Amino acid sequence: MKSVLWAQFLKDKRNPLLILLFIAGSIVATLILGGGVQSVTTVAIFSEEANASEIEEKWGALLNTNDSFKFEIVDPEEAREDVRDGSSDVAVNLSEDDYRLLVSKRMPGVSYVEQHVASVFQQEVQISAVESQEDGNVRDEMEEYLADAPFQLESQGVDGEQIPKFNIRTQLLFAFTFLISMFIIGFKVNNVTQDRVSGIWDRMILSPVKKTGMYSGYLLYSFLITMLQIVVVLIMFKYVMDYDVGNNLWLIILISACFTFGMISIAMLITGFVRTPEQFYAIYPSLIPLIPLVSGAYMMPGTITNPVLLFIADLFPNAHAMEAIMSVVFYGAGLQEVTMSLLYMLLIGIVAMGVGINLVERRSS
Amino acid sequence: MLETINLSKSFKGKKVVQDLNFYLNDGESVGLLGPNGAGKSTTISMISTLIKPTSGKIILNGVDAVHKPGEIRSVSGVVPQELALYQELSAYENLKFFGSIYKLKGTELEKAIQQALEFVGLEDRKKDLVKIYSGGMKRRLNIAAALLHRPKILILDEPTVGIDPQSRNHILEAVRALNQQEGTTILYTSHYMEEVEQLCDRLYIMDHGKVIAAGTKEELLSILSTEDKIKVELSRIDEDIVQQVETIEGVRKIEVAELQLRIIAAKGSNLISKLVHLTEQHHIQLINFHTESPSLEDVFLHLTGRKLRD
Repeated sequence: MKSVLWAQFLKDKRNPLLILLFIAGSIVATLILGGGVQSVTTVAIFSEEANASEIEEKWGALLNTNDSFKFEIVDPEEAREDVRDGSSDVAVNLSEDDYRLLVSKRMPGVSYVEQHVASVFQQEVQISAVESQEDGNVRDEMEEYLADAPFQLESQGVDGEQIPKFNIRTQLLFAFTFLISMFIIGFKVNNVTQDRVSGIWDRMILSPVKKTGMYSGYLLYSFLITMLQIVVVLIMFKYVMDYDVGNNLWLIILISACFTFGMISIAMLITGFVRTPEQFYAIYPSLIPLIPLVSGAYMMPGTITNPVLLFIADLFPNAHAMEAIMSVVFYGAGLQEVTMSLLYMLLIGIVAMGVGINLVERRSS
Repeated sequence: MLETINLSKSFKGKKVVQDLNFYLNDGESVGLLGPNGAGKSTTISMISTLIKPTSGKIILNGVDAVHKPGEIRSVSGVVPQELALYQELSAYENLKFFGSIYKLKGTELEKAIQQALEFVGLEDRKKDLVKIYSGGMKRRLNIAAALLHRPKILILDEPTVGIDPQSRNHILEAVRALNQQEGTTILYTSHYMEEVEQLCDRLYIMDHGKVIAAGTKEELLSILSTEDKIKVELSRIDEDIVQQVETIEGVRKIEVAELQLRIIAAKGSNLISKLVHLTEQHHIQLINFHTESPSLEDVFLHLTGRKLRD
């Protein structure tokens, strides 16, 4: 096993560019698609109605209730120009009781803005409906009532402390880190097929090295190099870019390790279905981006409700890893709380690995 | 030393190797000759225990190698047809890897690498990456990788495919030296008749998965001992003279190539004098003629009706 591991390492040592590019790719993807260092996203709002300034002031005050966004009143032409040239992802055109989003490309942050604006408008529509039927200042009454409601929901983290606020950027950091890591896994696990085709695998079979040692060498190397990428990216974001990734980095690394094992097994399963490295390269990169998408890794938790999609997502480690990590980062969950997710990932890993290796062996015999 | 008994292999119902009976004595150099698709590589894969035969036995020193592959693996080195090397690594790093999988360590490993590199003449280029090597150098390194654990039997599967004549000679010399100086038993497959003729003590000629002839070179050539092969160059050739040559008693086969006639005829058919007479009658000048000794290529042609490289 050591010899196989060493040979894989030597190959990457000779050409480390790919791994470095992947690590840089995780960071850049998170920064670009997640909206930069954890700063507040500024969203332009404007109105083109006759009473534009009145509408802008009214909705500006109502929209600016989320710490993640800052809604700024700008000139309509300037807002359009910014969206058009890509300097901002989204702008909101307000009218008395409605809004339109100006979007040039569907970035992950846009849906978050959309959700927030929709919920504010929905709430206002409900209040206006009540106001139209009742006399008096319904809004003040409602606020007074809610301040001292008969039933009050108090949320606490599992350790009794206050729950930190959910942050889509932190979620995207993990989503993109895992996405890139899945590609590294694919490239590394595909070395099995590459060496089988080149004849190196046969040379090893004829040597005293055991099959277990051969597989272990390839898979352990894939695991170690992927974990290196994940840990480097996490440390970079936690200590250099000051992202809030929770206080339990070791548990996050453990979850990442189970995710990596699960994904290596999925890659091994795909290896079992292909004959050449080229076939693997055709299938794997087409399939992999769909997994985080189906798992809702780029969306607010709970966005995906379709039972079929949820079932498919559960078959891959991504959904379980994201769930466990979000629990640890945002709700301070400990090892005990994420054990089920870890077990699911290990189970997926064991089953996929077993079937994958079996298929590879059947094919060769 | 090594023997196969009725060795057969089928893939999806198609018989690739059929009832192969074959033996290899200690220190011998044996060639497996045949065109592409004859079943040579499948035979080699079965003998080296990479694939299991559908039926039949492989016996090494009395031990059934099909059920106990460890025995044959420990004494054999296989040079595959493909370049089974890490292109991204240097020659030294490749050999270090292949040596380490044979449990060689420390000075023993270093010595084995050095000897293998010297043997194939690559010691000066050991630090260069394999991907910048020429085709011939890669082939030589491919052989070196199979020599590190000092195998008693070296199995080479078309080791000279696609390389220049100089590298080919280097490889042939190296294999001959291994056999004659080190006493390594050689099993060499090729579809280049001249390589097998040059290297091997005994030959097996394969076609369509079967051994169609076996023996020493002389034994195989004796198959054609009843025939003469004559090349005749004429000033012109017309259909009439070709037809008349065909009717000469003893002529078995005739091929026309531009102004040349290639004739295979029974020995003692007195063909030359009859040809001289015939050309005089047709007022054709006989420019040149010579008789050729039959080659293994001719033996193959005789046995199968096809050329080796068809």
